[in-house]
Amino acid sequence: MGAPKVLIDRLNRGVRKRNARWTFVRDHAFGDALKLRRLRLGNGLTVLLLVDRSAPTVSYHTWFRVGSRNERPGKTGLAHLFEHLMFSETRNHPHGDFDRLMEGAGAEANAATWTDWTCYYENAPRDALPLLIELEADRMANLVLRVPQVTSEKEVVANERKLRVDDDVEGKALEMLYDNAFRRHPYRWPTIGSMQDIRSFTVRDCQEFYRTYYAPGNATVVIAGDFNEQKALSHVQKHYGGLSASRPAKPPTPAKEPSQRGERVLQLTAPTPTEKLLIGYQAPSFSDPDTPALVIANEVLFGGTSSRLHRLFCVDQEVALSVRGSISPFIDPGLFEMWIFLREGKPKEDALALLDGEIDRLACDGPNPSELDKAINQLELSFLHSMETAGGKAEQIGFYETVASDGAAVFDRLAAYRNVSADDVKRAVSKYLRRSRRTRVEILRKAP
Amino acid sequence: MNVFVEPSDALPIVDLEIALPVGSLQDPAGQEGLAQLTGHLMRRGPRGLSQERFEDRLARLGARMSVEVSMRSTRVRATVLRRNLEPLLALLGDVVWHPALRGSDFSKLKRRAEAALTARLDDDQVLGAVCFREALFGEHPYGRTLSGHTDSLARISIQHAKEFYARNIARGAFLVGVSGDVSEAEVHSLVASHFPKVRRSRRNTSDVPATRARRGRHVVIVDKPERTQTQLIIGTLGARTRDRKLFPLLVSNTAFGGTFSGPLMQQVRGVRGWSYGAYSRLLHSTQRDAWYMSTAPAAEYSADCAALQLDLLERWVDGGTKQTELRFAQRYLINSHCFDRDTASKRLEARLDVELLDIPRSYVDKYDQLVARVTRQEANNATRARISDKDLTIVVVATASDVATSFERLPGVKSVEIVPFDRN
Repeated sequence: MGAPKVLIDRLNRGVRKRNARWTFVRDHAFGDALKLRRLRLGNGLTVLLLVDRSAPTVSYHTWFRVGSRNERPGKTGLAHLFEHLMFSETRNHPHGDFDRLMEGAGAEANAATWTDWTCYYENAPRDALPLLIELEADRMANLVLRVPQVTSEKEVVANERKLRVDDDVEGKALEMLYDNAFRRHPYRWPTIGSMQDIRSFTVRDCQEFYRTYYAPGNATVVIAGDFNEQKALSHVQKHYGGLSASRPAKPPTPAKEPSQRGERVLQLTAPTPTEKLLIGYQAPSFSDPDTPALVIANEVLFGGTSSRLHRLFCVDQEVALSVRGSISPFIDPGLFEMWIFLREGKPKEDALALLDGEIDRLACDGPNPSELDKAINQLELSFLHSMETAGGKAEQIGFYETVASDGAAVFDRLAAYRNVSADDVKRAVSKYLRRSRRTRVEILRKAP
Repeated sequence: MNVFVEPSDALPIVDLEIALPVGSLQDPAGQEGLAQLTGHLMRRGPRGLSQERFEDRLARLGARMSVEVSMRSTRVRATVLRRNLEPLLALLGDVVWHPALRGSDFSKLKRRAEAALTARLDDDQVLGAVCFREALFGEHPYGRTLSGHTDSLARISIQHAKEFYARNIARGAFLVGVSGDVSEAEVHSLVASHFPKVRRSRRNTSDVPATRARRGRHVVIVDKPERTQTQLIIGTLGARTRDRKLFPLLVSNTAFGGTFSGPLMQQVRGVRGWSYGAYSRLLHSTQRDAWYMSTAPAAEYSADCAALQLDLLERWVDGGTKQTELRFAQRYLINSHCFDRDTASKRLEARLDVELLDIPRSYVDKYDQLVARVTRQEANNATRARISDKDLTIVVVATASDVATSFERLPGVKSVEIVPFDRN
């Protein structure tokens, strides 16, 4: 990477429009060998660059700070539907052009929406970067929304909902869990939206959503891989520099979720061959200082075949086929989710007692030194694997920038895991994994 | 020397693999699932270490290990933090050549395998895929499932697993692959210290008869209650690995249903919104493997979607691919090929595939040229020669009472069979 001042002076030379002028913000170390460079365009677009020449590929991510948290009851699923519509026509490209141009260049283009963000990404051969920049800038400002595309995409999303929720017992149970674990916060509704809401969206809803949230000031572009920094910034300047600086209206702060004071138990009867338990404990936000200790607790309980619960449930007692746990990586407090996939005929009450026993033991004794070592080594391995490709690196940077407000913090997280002590784990488990803070969905077998 | 190394200092991790040319095609008739059970039994750890201590040791090394069994191979894979490479490599060697193969582990594994068959009933996509291969290949070994079925598992004992191991793995050929933060010299030295003398891999020419397509169009409905959506797979035989028409067919299939921009996706999803995904896939093996289209339409228009796909298929086979579509597919395949080799572990897999699965080396080394030189005539001839629009297996996972009548009415359908989803 070149010296930032020289680079910026060169790029801004002769550029009069304020929106198109670059500001260098700072360089961050990214591991031992790489550097993450942060810049801002005059219209508010944040750009993060990571030059990594280990493969002749490039990954281009655009993260918008909008997700299902920005919706309201009656309009759930709009952020996700909108993600689909972003592959439609623009004022400069007819319908179908986006995918055709991307695929012709060998690029994989896709997108994802969750509670706090919407991410559009392309992984492409390095020579395709100018095309990626042009097409992404174009759809940020020039999307055309018409009835036929909105109608057709609503049908696609309705089918996606059937695939992931209506006909999927796990999807249905998760929807039930969040709907009951949250009473006030928007995390209570599903990102894909309710079927009724999906069916009722109008072109006008979509246009309004676009105007509100799709603007340079609400987005971060991450470019990772094998590219020339100056050329890339020059292309970004050319294609994004003309976009309006209008900042999207700040969305209302979501209502704070009150602390849960008693266990909530629900039952879902479904045509499934085996019973399952899905449990969600109120958990801290992704950036909360307690989260690393809970992540270690998750590793000790659920991390791989040497974990306590895998051994207990799947090997020793043989009550479950598999178990898994995860902590929702959200901006606001979310859930520590636990799944127990019971074997046929094994009572859920026994499984719950086993789970409670292990959680109590962890809260009381904490992990032993060997378990701490294992957890940290396994987290390090997962982290390194997530960094294998340009796409993996761009994803981590974009996620940390959007959820933790710092794209370079990805390495800090690994350091935070290393600093977790057995006492930290004990404290976190005692504080968060209390029965009164949990919601439980019991998935029962429907009689044939 | 059958040791393959792909060095890369991009990250301080190393991937290791011991690949053996033995898979579910070696399952004796009636004991389907034996190769996979044996592989999973090896994964329970080496002699002298309880399973619990083995798992602990792996985890403390910052390592993961898996045994993946396919029709023609067993691949024991591990990944580890660079600093712990040597102890992991030693452990990997012990898993393959000194496995404990304990009876108590076997009993648990067998119960687990049976439970997994039951749990699989939740997954409509898997139900559809398993049924499709069974219906397409019938009694042919390609129709077997890796994990067997309840009856076949019941017939397998620990003795069978030990015999399978002794016959196919203990003294069989193997390949070693290592990629990541390691040098060639280091790998060779470590392999010499910890593994038996490398035995040359014999070509995997598992002697299976040619596959044959059933004449006519046959529908199988996997009947599952309360389905609002269906899983639909329509297919026939595809090509052999060493088929001269393989690359022309690969390009032609990519033009038809291998991309988001192709006619299959555009007509099913783009124009009608009928399915979240709509792709066609071409598989190849020593004998002709499957070619198929997969979609997931709502129950109310599942048969309409099938009819549309049949119409698109006929147009593709009879009318061929346009020059512009062909060129587009070639550009896509060549330009996106960099993602088949952008990490050391992917480059290693390609080299191991060549050795293990009898894939011509030119398919990897000259992939771009082989794709680029396909002409429109070759592509269309290959499609007509290999893809039948008359002999088709149509599998739909659905609530039979909702869809049976409409599927019976599809053009050219000779039979409709309804099978319960939980027939295991």
